[in-house]
Amino acid sequence: MIRSIALGLALIALPASAQTPATPAKTAPIKTANATPIATTALSAIFYGAKSANAGERLFGQKCAFCHIGPSTGKFMLARRMPKDQAELPSRTDLQPDYVKAVVRNGLVNMPTFTRVELTDAELNQIADWLGGRKTDSRKPNEHKKARK
Amino acid sequence: MPVLPPNGMTSAGFDKALADFRRVLGDQWVLSGDEDRQTYIDPYALGDGLDHDCSAILAPSTVEEVQAILRIANQHKTPLWPVSRGKNLGYGAASPKEKGDIILDLSRMNRILDVDEKQAACLLEPGVGYFDLFRHLRERNLPLWMSVPGNSWGSVVGNALDRGIGYTPYGDHCETLCGLEVVLPDGSLVRTGMGAMQGAKGWQSYKYGYGPGWDQMFMQSNFGVVVKAGMWLQPEPEMTAKITLAIPEFDDAAWALDILCDLRRRDIIQHNVVFGSPVRAASTMSQRADWYTGEGALPDAVAEQMMKKLGLGWWNAKISLYGDEGSVMAQIALIRRLFEPRLGSALQFEVWKRGDPIEKSAAGIPTTMGLQCVNWYGGRGGHLSFAPVLPQDGAMALAYAKKIKAYYEEVGQDYYASFTIGRRHINNVSLILYNRDEPAAVARVDKLYRHLLKEAAASGFAEYRGHISYMDNVAASYDFADGALRKLNNRVKAALDPNNILAPGRNGIGTRA
Repeated sequence: MIRSIALGLALIALPASAQTPATPAKTAPIKTANATPIATTALSAIFYGAKSANAGERLFGQKCAFCHIGPSTGKFMLARRMPKDQAELPSRTDLQPDYVKAVVRNGLVNMPTFTRVELTDAELNQIADWLGGRKTDSRKPNEHKKARK
Repeated sequence: MPVLPPNGMTSAGFDKALADFRRVLGDQWVLSGDEDRQTYIDPYALGDGLDHDCSAILAPSTVEEVQAILRIANQHKTPLWPVSRGKNLGYGAASPKEKGDIILDLSRMNRILDVDEKQAACLLEPGVGYFDLFRHLRERNLPLWMSVPGNSWGSVVGNALDRGIGYTPYGDHCETLCGLEVVLPDGSLVRTGMGAMQGAKGWQSYKYGYGPGWDQMFMQSNFGVVVKAGMWLQPEPEMTAKITLAIPEFDDAAWALDILCDLRRRDIIQHNVVFGSPVRAASTMSQRADWYTGEGALPDAVAEQMMKKLGLGWWNAKISLYGDEGSVMAQIALIRRLFEPRLGSALQFEVWKRGDPIEKSAAGIPTTMGLQCVNWYGGRGGHLSFAPVLPQDGAMALAYAKKIKAYYEEVGQDYYASFTIGRRHINNVSLILYNRDEPAAVARVDKLYRHLLKEAAASGFAEYRGHISYMDNVAASYDFADGALRKLNNRVKAALDPNNILAPGRNGIGTRA
């Protein structure tokens, strides 16, 4: 306690002119002090599909990508039980539209349900068709996206 | 799922009310079937969540529809539970406090009505989510930043009204609100602040208007339905710098909190600082079973393994600095001088300058990464938060943390704590993670929560926000003069909402037997 009180007083007394860069400490910078353990959603996830010609992909970008693209919880959990290159939903080749719809309306493990107010049946159909329509296509996701209208 | 007429209504009366609501909204936006109702069950419910099941959902898209709904609700004495987007995860999500209320889901009212670049302010409907506003600002290259909460899936306005927080200089979300438009329980419409003048030009410029300022009345309350809210945004700074300080020992909380709180009171640190334990960080990127599969609370030795492997301290504080280059560099120097001698290593800040990629900056970027923590125990996970307010005293906070940690260990719950450093307070967040389908875990969570509430109250610390299952308990802990504040709230409630149709029991106000 004494230490912290003394420190508080030192701060009060600190003139602006004293705030010059500190002398570098003798020890080398260590990673722990700079760790940023909580990643944030990537911008590429937030804007995923924004320019797509496919309405299903655009909707996926608005409603799903922030958890399922890049470093976030949907991708993280799927990476634990899917092949490494299929942790993001658009990379999946095994999704059936009906399965997508069932998961969205019922939830799955930590994935919450989506209501018909937040995502109408018509919108969900577009997302499910887009995700599910990829199953027979062996092309890479990007080629696939370009091909679909 | 059985059909539930709301509390106090007969089935016939409920059917009549639904028919009236359908006439206003159309069939599509009055949802009462089992399948729709189950999509509104709290995903983090303690158990199956049916104890907070709703009877139906109404989804208006205009202010006029909200007004009409409230008038109909008064005629039929139908209780309504308004939610902005229903993502208040950890506090009950969209579920009503009292089983059977009709959820008034404002998600469709999702227009960004105005963004004023020069004034750095916006006017939003309650259904606007953090991702929506972020995209809007970025797509237009507006030099305005937002603050985001740990779970950014929800509503910007709803979070602010529930006094949610973020971790940038605009992180006290309720304080960034400036001017509300509210439908009162009788269906009438009011604007607060300068908006009370017809054609006012300063609605988002000055909060208070003339006479009493009512904005706070509509926060954490059930006195009206907020249908528009003004909000201030942060002008993009010239420079930011950020760092996560890893404070090595548990007992270091005392000195480290004192330094950080002092910097916060002086506005050298301009944002709410999170100061979190190892499980807080580990639970966003791993699961418990990756570290430990034993029963009971996670042993300290395992927490120390986590710290070593993940580069964490016992406490981890993310600090960001904002301003022009000169002031940010001076602040970096000051923080280095304060912490380097104690940590024994040089601190390296990540510096962002205007024009660099925004990810490098300390801007608020919406994220749902934090939701990963509910997977800690496996299964269908959830979290519950108990977060009493303490004054800014490091020794007091450390002593309290020791007591709480010991109780977590006694009941066999992994200790997950963070201290949020506000402008004059410390919020000690005790997060309680669980698998909702494990009855023993649910019982443990309930026991722990009730103990924490009692322990905090005995220490003179009160909770700032509450889960729907504990709203009356928290309200009862505010017991000065025989609960005089709660009595005042109930008198206001009775005056504005004599039929008690709006969110009965929210925050312990207008609770029905």
